[in-house]
Amino acid sequence: MQSIFRRFLNRLLGKDKKLKIGLYGHPNSGKTTLANTMTNDWLGKPLGLTSEIPHETRKVYKQERVSINHNGVELDFDIIDTPGIATKIDYKNFLKYGLSEVEAKERAKEATKGIIEAIKWLDDVTGVLLVIDATKDPLTQANITIIGNLEARKIPFVIVANKIDIPEATPERITSVFPQHTVVPISALHGENTGNLYDAMVKRFK
Amino acid sequence: MNSLKMDFLSSDALISRSSMEKVSMIVERVKNGDLVVIEGGLSPEEEAELIETTMREIDIENFVGIDIYTLEKDKVSLFGLSKKKIVGLTIIGPANIMKTVKKKSNFISMIANIGDTGASMR
Ligand SMILES: Nc1nc2c(ncn2[C@@H]2O[C@H](COP(=O)(O)OP(=O)(O)O)[C@@H](O)[C@H]2O)c(=O)[nH]1
Ligand SMILES: [Mg+2]
Repeated sequence: MQSIFRRFLNRLLGKDKKLKIGLYGHPNSGKTTLANTMTNDWLGKPLGLTSEIPHETRKVYKQERVSINHNGVELDFDIIDTPGIATKIDYKNFLKYGLSEVEAKERAKEATKGIIEAIKWLDDVTGVLLVIDATKDPLTQANITIIGNLEARKIPFVIVANKIDIPEATPERITSVFPQHTVVPISALHGENTGNLYDAMVKRFK
Repeated sequence: MNSLKMDFLSSDALISRSSMEKVSMIVERVKNGDLVVIEGGLSPEEEAELIETTMREIDIENFVGIDIYTLEKDKVSLFGLSKKKIVGLTIIGPANIMKTVKKKSNFISMIANIGDTGASMR
């Protein structure tokens, strides 16, 4: 059975049947969950990525690049913790996670390469989803920086106000601080309102 | 050595330079431990190149990267119909010395931590 969301995918796909989406946002904002929900909705199978255990202070740079091929359609995702599109990398940050000094330096070196790749990856991206946890303050330096960058490079993006299933969520706050941008409140976990998100993507990513 | 060198560059000083020259000039200075203050902003391409060059230059032990802050100002259009923000000042420095930064829309306050050679930031 084809998902009712499949039509969004068809409208988003170019003739090369390829879609390249960047998912940016703070750690734990719900990027992995959203990527899984999207591929589930569109292709009927999850991306197979697992969310980490929520950790308030997770600060280690993390980037996942995944591709899924299904019925001749290719979906590419680049999932990046926004503090990871950083201008600085300190290996000492990695030490806190039980890595040895040598390992930490190795990871830091990889992170610098990852950032260079992420910049290049953006060159032919279809569009970016900036995922913001609607229970948190949206006005962070990282969010402002990424929005500025996307605007400046004329990369289409949609702001996702995620976790609206949580009673404390205030997606209106995100709308009010970024009035000039498209903000779509959803729950990636429960698949709530995702149709509106796909609609917005079709409109903005064209 | 507990001192901080600050270089202030007018937009005129930069206008004749290519993006590559600008970026390598900035990274060279910042890698040296200097703070660079530029009149105006960098283009998106220059910013991307600045980050890329910084990533290549990070040597884990001594240079952990840069911090960039901008101060914006209103640019009123010809007929005063629309107000747009443009970058008035760009401050770029070594990430390990730019310790505390307070930023409002029209104000930046920064404490440079020059005693600490070890890179310690978030
Ligand atoms: N209540 C709720 N939790 C969510 C939602 N989306 C993600 N989460 C949870 O938030 C945590 C972090 O999600 P994850 O997708 O790994 O975030 P990432 O770090 O941005 O990839 C996980 O425990 C998810 O189950 C949502 O819409 N509602
Ligand atoms: Mg994740």
